[in-house]
Amino acid sequence: MNVQVDHHDKVLVAKVEGRVDSSNSQDFERQLQGAIGEDVQAVVVDLGQLAYISSAGLRVVLLVAKTLGQRNVSISLCALSDPVQSVFEISGFNRIIQIYDTQADALAAAG
Amino acid sequence: MSANLHLRVPNRIEELPGVSEAVEALGREEGWPQDVTYAIVLGLEEVATNVVRHGGGEPGSSEIEIEVTSSDDEVRIEVRDSGKAFDPFHEAPEPDLDAEVQDRQIGGLGVHFVKVLMDETSYSREGGRNHVSMVKRRS
Repeated sequence: MNVQVDHHDKVLVAKVEGRVDSSNSQDFERQLQGAIGEDVQAVVVDLGQLAYISSAGLRVVLLVAKTLGQRNVSISLCALSDPVQSVFEISGFNRIIQIYDTQADALAAAG
Repeated sequence: MSANLHLRVPNRIEELPGVSEAVEALGREEGWPQDVTYAIVLGLEEVATNVVRHGGGEPGSSEIEIEVTSSDDEVRIEVRDSGKAFDPFHEAPEPDLDAEVQDRQIGGLGVHFVKVLMDETSYSREGGRNHVSMVKRRS
């Protein structure tokens, strides 16, 4: 698992690659939280290269969404593969976090 | 035709990626559809993670026994451990799927995934061991 970070003005794009499971979810949390600086106004998490996520990873996404919500920073997800999309739907997270088909759509909405 | 995977791993989180890899390899050999493989790997990780986190013993102090049997129309997954008695399908808290971000509780999701993604689930306590059984149909 790896988190790559890109800045588009005040929007931070975090691209997650690989697998997030119970063995590396703490590392995922550290990388994601660590990437989000004070001056960020919106966060787009690109899951296009995420092969697998379990409840341990969803817990981190929810934690980060809560932290950002308290700071009035928006968060959205994009480019989910079908199985990853299913997991977000089963968890109900698709109803509380915006999900876009592409990073461009997410950036347009965040900008 | 059926193919079988039988593993015994110490009750440590770090052991679980190796279990996932072995199950994925079986899925490739057996030609499981991608969503079936994802459901099985996820179900197994969620159940085994619960055993490690809530089983009571120190990490590495006991074993988790995992058996995956792939037949023509279904995959059967058995997980046995000697931790304290715990029926995940009836004792784990239900997540509130409709809560807003700030109210949404962390946790409770793993068992929910298993219930939704598997076609059959059952729990029994046999000879001082927990036995979780899951069945996923291949189509």
